[in-house]
Amino acid sequence: MPNIIKSYVKGVDTLNRFTGLVTMHLIFVMIGLLLYSSISRTLFDTPINSVVTISQFLMSAYYLLGGGFSMQEDAHVRMDLFYSSWSKKGKARADAFTSIFLVFYLVILLYGAVSSTMYTIEVGQKTRTLIQYPLAPIKILMTLGVFLMLLQATATFFKDLAKARGVTL
Amino acid sequence: MSYEMIALLMFSTMMVMMLTGQRVFGAIGFVAAVAALFLWGEGGVEMPFTAASKLMSWYPLLTLPLFVFMGYMLSESGIASDLYKMFHVWMGPLHGGLAIGTICLMVLISAMNGLSVAGMAIGATIALPEMLRRGYDKVMVTGVIQAGSSLGILVPPSVVLVLYGMIARQPVSDLWLAGAIPGLMLATMFVVYIVVRCRLQPELGPVLPKEERQMPLGEKIALLKAGILPLLIFVFMTGFFVAGVTSLVESSAVGATAAMLAALFRKRLTFKVLETTIRQTLGISCMFMWIILAALAFGAVFDGLGAVKAIESLFLEKWGLSPWEILILMQLSYIVMGMFLDDTAMLVIVAPLYIPLVISLGFNPIWYGVLYTITVQVAYMTPPFGYNLFLMKAMAPPEISLVDIYRSVIPFVLIMIFALVIVMSFPEIALWLPQYFKG
Amino acid sequence: QSTIKWRLQTYAGPALGEHVIKPAIDAFNKAANGEMVIELFYADQLVPTGELFRAMQKGTIDAVQSDDDSIAAPVDVSVFGGYFPFGTRYSLDVPVLFNQYGLNEIWEEAYDEVDGVKWLSAGAWDPCHFATKDPIRSLADLKGKRVFTFPTAGRFLSRFGVVPVTLPWEDIEVAMQTGELDGIAWSGITEDYTVGWADVTNYFLTNNISGAWCGSFFANEDRWNEVPEHLKTLFKLCMDSSHYYRQHWYWGGEAQLRTEGTKLELTTIPDEEWATVEAEAYKFWDEIAEQSDRSKRVVDILKKYAKTMEKAGKPYRYG
Ligand code: NA
Ligand code: NA
Repeated sequence: MPNIIKSYVKGVDTLNRFTGLVTMHLIFVMIGLLLYSSISRTLFDTPINSVVTISQFLMSAYYLLGGGFSMQEDAHVRMDLFYSSWSKKGKARADAFTSIFLVFYLVILLYGAVSSTMYTIEVGQKTRTLIQYPLAPIKILMTLGVFLMLLQATATFFKDLAKARGVTL
Repeated sequence: MSYEMIALLMFSTMMVMMLTGQRVFGAIGFVAAVAALFLWGEGGVEMPFTAASKLMSWYPLLTLPLFVFMGYMLSESGIASDLYKMFHVWMGPLHGGLAIGTICLMVLISAMNGLSVAGMAIGATIALPEMLRRGYDKVMVTGVIQAGSSLGILVPPSVVLVLYGMIARQPVSDLWLAGAIPGLMLATMFVVYIVVRCRLQPELGPVLPKEERQMPLGEKIALLKAGILPLLIFVFMTGFFVAGVTSLVESSAVGATAAMLAALFRKRLTFKVLETTIRQTLGISCMFMWIILAALAFGAVFDGLGAVKAIESLFLEKWGLSPWEILILMQLSYIVMGMFLDDTAMLVIVAPLYIPLVISLGFNPIWYGVLYTITVQVAYMTPPFGYNLFLMKAMAPPEISLVDIYRSVIPFVLIMIFALVIVMSFPEIALWLPQYFKG
Repeated sequence: QSTIKWRLQTYAGPALGEHVIKPAIDAFNKAANGEMVIELFYADQLVPTGELFRAMQKGTIDAVQSDDDSIAAPVDVSVFGGYFPFGTRYSLDVPVLFNQYGLNEIWEEAYDEVDGVKWLSAGAWDPCHFATKDPIRSLADLKGKRVFTFPTAGRFLSRFGVVPVTLPWEDIEVAMQTGELDGIAWSGITEDYTVGWADVTNYFLTNNISGAWCGSFFANEDRWNEVPEHLKTLFKLCMDSSHYYRQHWYWGGEAQLRTEGTKLELTTIPDEEWATVEAEAYKFWDEIAEQSDRSKRVVDILKKYAKTMEKAGKPYRYG
């Protein structure tokens, strides 16, 4: 494998690991926010208005930004009826081939994300809540998440390709 | 292209994609993206990402990462092994007692957790090795773990019923309450089966040696304390939600906090445990949510291309079936699809096709939610292809072969089908509790 | 010649859509005789309502039925779509304002500034009442109530201590049951019964903050231009028939369910007290008028119309 691919794979892995390690802490923000809201509402009779909106933002950022890292960690389930019985090399071969489909999906997803984000920025789209939060920041984060997933899918493709040819990256 | 052709093409392509072993979200997302690009017409290319906006508005889905977090916290906190020890000592004198204790353990784990994976992991790591060591029949105990873990999504809380509630637009509190009695009924049926089977074949579940369970009564009673924490967690989470004190999503945050406090109380809440938990939580949540993202796109494209109408007209007009025939056919189709599809994907893709039809046929959607949940569990446990079967293979010790696992589920699948028929014939079993709470 | 196919998504869910749109679309498909087929999709079915406008611009969806407010249409007049506080008193006000007082022209002008979307026609829906768990008998009862309502109506009602909550429409029934909401200010009593909200609330306030909700039909501009003239005419007739159906369905339904409905108890805030809400609304109008020249023109028209109606007296205005 050419050096440039090696460093690309390494770079993507590092980037996604870093993003993932930061993103995984968002769960504490979600727990804290919701706990605060339930205590404030039940004990002090003060409902927090923006909790739903902000939680929705957090949830979207969480699973999209964490996507690349989760693929790196091999967290994504497969229907391994046949797959599980193949050799390591056979698995890598199949993965390298079917990665084309995965990448295709992610490219279309990214196209939609960019197009949607551009619109949001152009018209200054906001939430329809009492406090009107701008949607641009979360849309940008979501697009970034899809992009990181795409990077990871291509890096994984190269890893599988190397494995299929019996070399390690 | 006719609607029927589109429906057939999209489904068969997805199944082929699944069989390649590519990640489930990629397989589904690819079919959605290709169909959107080539069959939708102008603007179809936007459909895959539109699903992300839809998912954002699915606020109750926030319970998913929180329940996953909670599950990991609970297994780290040692609550499960305490509970196991309690059942171990108290049930040991019976033939098959450890297996019965495992079902009881699963009921308690189910009452603290919204997914069935947690139950299976706890069962496979804590209960299974202990039972094997004591000469229990490996086929029977493997079945016990799988059947027991299936209670996870039936006994409240349940993430599957949250998803079902979002799709069917039904109150989650009613669905959770509706799942409780059928869940306990199923657990009882499992226990009865174990008792009867071990009476006929005592060698399947030998009595625990005396020295292992000999301890002063005071100590034995002290073991019961293990049941307090699960009870507290259940009350704080499900109890407060059903009583209307906390909202659904808030209740899952309360549950996550309670699990953390339980771990803290048992001095197990280390920095390392926290880091492992949130790392695993991110992985599992991403797995589920990317599948939902892809499946939402698939579902919307499938719907927009008219394939839903094709299925409806097939059931209602072309075949001229009666409501009950349609219902039974749907349940059978779940079992077939359960061979190829992941559970989340099946819910997000298939449920939106069936639920409106079920409601328009005059069936009660809350009752159907319970039927649905039992059916998908059966589907994942039915050989030769079932999602749970493979999960079990991955978690079980190497001496348990896939053939053992196949054989192990047969009696339990039969029990579950029997339970399904009972709930179908007597809807009150599911509907009594939610109606009682509504007053 | 191949069939023209449209996907039309409404903001209404299936139970409501059965009345407010489906009969008109079914009639259109029958009359179009295979030359054109419109496939109807309900709230959030293909695209979430908040993204509907852009989806239509991109051609993902060919046509939309909604108020301007719900689909967040990027035009200044969208604030008047949905429930503009005290903008109308009766459901006939909407077609009169659009056809006789110049709102048609203003809406056309506003949407012509936006690429790719053609605004087609506006019509009236139901009045905006409160359905609540606890009774509202005075303005003080509104204080602290968490109410599901529309963005513009919510901004206005927050002046009376109402806490407006925005949730996905389909979560409302659950939110009422789990205590996340105290009430709903989204519709009249007909919808409360039709979509099931009457089952989760106990009281219905007879005072309303708007007599008729204003909603429109829109289409992707290219798709609309491709349709031959006779089918355009047919579609206009179809929109009018949807408007017409809602006129009698809601008008009759509101009266019938107030008198014969058994699920909700009626309460009323005395007229003198409610007049302060109306007075506040006129201040709100002036604030909105400052947002743009076009908004000012709309507000001026609303004022002129209100004056005409008051002058005309009974049955247009009582007292
Ligand atoms: Na559970
Ligand atoms: Na335009």
